[in-house]
Amino acid sequence: MIECKNISKIYLGDSPALENISFKIEDKEFVSIIGASGAGKSTLIKILHAEEKPTSGEALFDGEDIVEYKKKQIFQHRRDVGVVFQDFKLLPKKSVFENVAFAMEVAGKTDEEIAEDVPKVLEIIGLEGSEEKYPHELSGGEQQRVAIARALVNRPKVLIADEPTGNLDPESGWGVLESLIKINEYGTTVILATHDREAIDKLDRRVIVLKDGKIVSDKKKGKYELEEK
Amino acid sequence: MRLKFPRTLKTGFTNFYRNGWLSVATISIITVTLFIINIQFAVVISDNLLLNDIKERVSISVYFKPDTTEQDVLIAKDEFSRYQEVASIDYISKEKALEEFKKENVDNEIMLKSLDEIEINPFEPTLSVKAREPRDYDLIARAVNESAYKDFINTVNYDKYSNVIDSLGSEIDSNRQTGLALGITLTIIAILITFNSVRITMYAHSREIEIMRLVGSSNNYIRMPFVWEGILYGLISAAIALPLSFIYLKFVAIPEASGVVLPFSNSVYIEQFLREIFVKNAVKIVPAELGAGILLGVISSVIAMGRYLGKPRK
Repeated sequence: MIECKNISKIYLGDSPALENISFKIEDKEFVSIIGASGAGKSTLIKILHAEEKPTSGEALFDGEDIVEYKKKQIFQHRRDVGVVFQDFKLLPKKSVFENVAFAMEVAGKTDEEIAEDVPKVLEIIGLEGSEEKYPHELSGGEQQRVAIARALVNRPKVLIADEPTGNLDPESGWGVLESLIKINEYGTTVILATHDREAIDKLDRRVIVLKDGKIVSDKKKGKYELEEK
Repeated sequence: MRLKFPRTLKTGFTNFYRNGWLSVATISIITVTLFIINIQFAVVISDNLLLNDIKERVSISVYFKPDTTEQDVLIAKDEFSRYQEVASIDYISKEKALEEFKKENVDNEIMLKSLDEIEINPFEPTLSVKAREPRDYDLIARAVNESAYKDFINTVNYDKYSNVIDSLGSEIDSNRQTGLALGITLTIIAILITFNSVRITMYAHSREIEIMRLVGSSNNYIRMPFVWEGILYGLISAAIALPLSFIYLKFVAIPEASGVVLPFSNSVYIEQFLREIFVKNAVKIVPAELGAGILLGVISSVIAMGRYLGKPRK
């Protein structure tokens, strides 16, 4: 599904953000990427989402190199790979329904498809009945779940969550993680970048640890350990 | 594409409506821009009308001695016609001059009577010379005075106009140049201001644009609502600026024409411009104005969009 081969990213005049990163993520896997601030998590996510290009190396998605994508393929890629961020990135002037529908409009879906799919997705993440509410009327956890619904509504193959619980209290955070687990069980590959020690320990899934732009450990059932013992 | 069109149009209208004061401010700036360009345009054209009128009215009168034969005068006319600077020459015979004088003084019985009494035609055969450019009158007058026919010539009536012609010629020239420079400068400034206000609109929507990119929107889909918005700005501005310019020219500039507001154009020529050029060409001018407004809005939108779009960073 996703395979990174010797990816390096060097910002001008800086020490490398990523150095020779190689890993493989299988279809329907749930992978957490952890590391201190500046370890390279965000850079890696931006490369996987085709927002930045690596300085060298290959990032294969279904066997094709993201780095070589043409413009059109980039737009399609971003629909195949949904993203969720720490700050939710919802539009404050749009209702919950409109925020989710927005992603479908952009993808050129018809109004009928939108009317059918949006309520379904909201139900999966447990927000049925909140369609007409605006983001400021929701709790942080609920807002993040709207963002997940938006990322999910175009049926992406992969969902990337970049610190999705960073702004949430532990309880809401766990609610968001439960949504991610559910989504993963429905068959979407999930990549979770996080600082959240408790979350990682509870998840008991594969963990990749980044430090100073390098992979220091990659365990099938990892705990939150930044240093290799 | 079928869905893109109405969706982006709707978003464009919604953005426009929700922007409120920002929309009003942007429209005001584009309106002022177009208004200034319109007025500049009117001034330049009125100046041209004035110039043409002066060219029509001004001429050099070459008076020949009364006993010069018509043949000699016509030979001289042919000779003077060869000067590059000469646009046209009219020959006025003694008889024609008398006739015209009588026509002009048809109410002045004393004058007509005294003319009858002297029994001879006191008028001289005359050549009325028009130059291509006002500044050339001096040159032509000198050439005529030094020509082979100078012995036939009584007087060259040019001196009493010379100051007027000289100053008009150079003033119109410099007026045209400053008008053009002013027009270009104002246009550039106005485009920068418009561009900037569209940038502010974009900035207000930067979050929306960011999210559109994240969920895989194509650049065109992101751009279209702003282009629609730009079209709307330009269209409304042009629809305001054109009548505003007309009203200004007709009800402010014409009564107040003092050479201060509109240097060198007086009410007669603005009136003439409105009547003969503006009204007659309204079918062309109105779409041109709307087009200019749309172009200004769209170009500014597209340039302002630039930095939000594009490929992944290297």
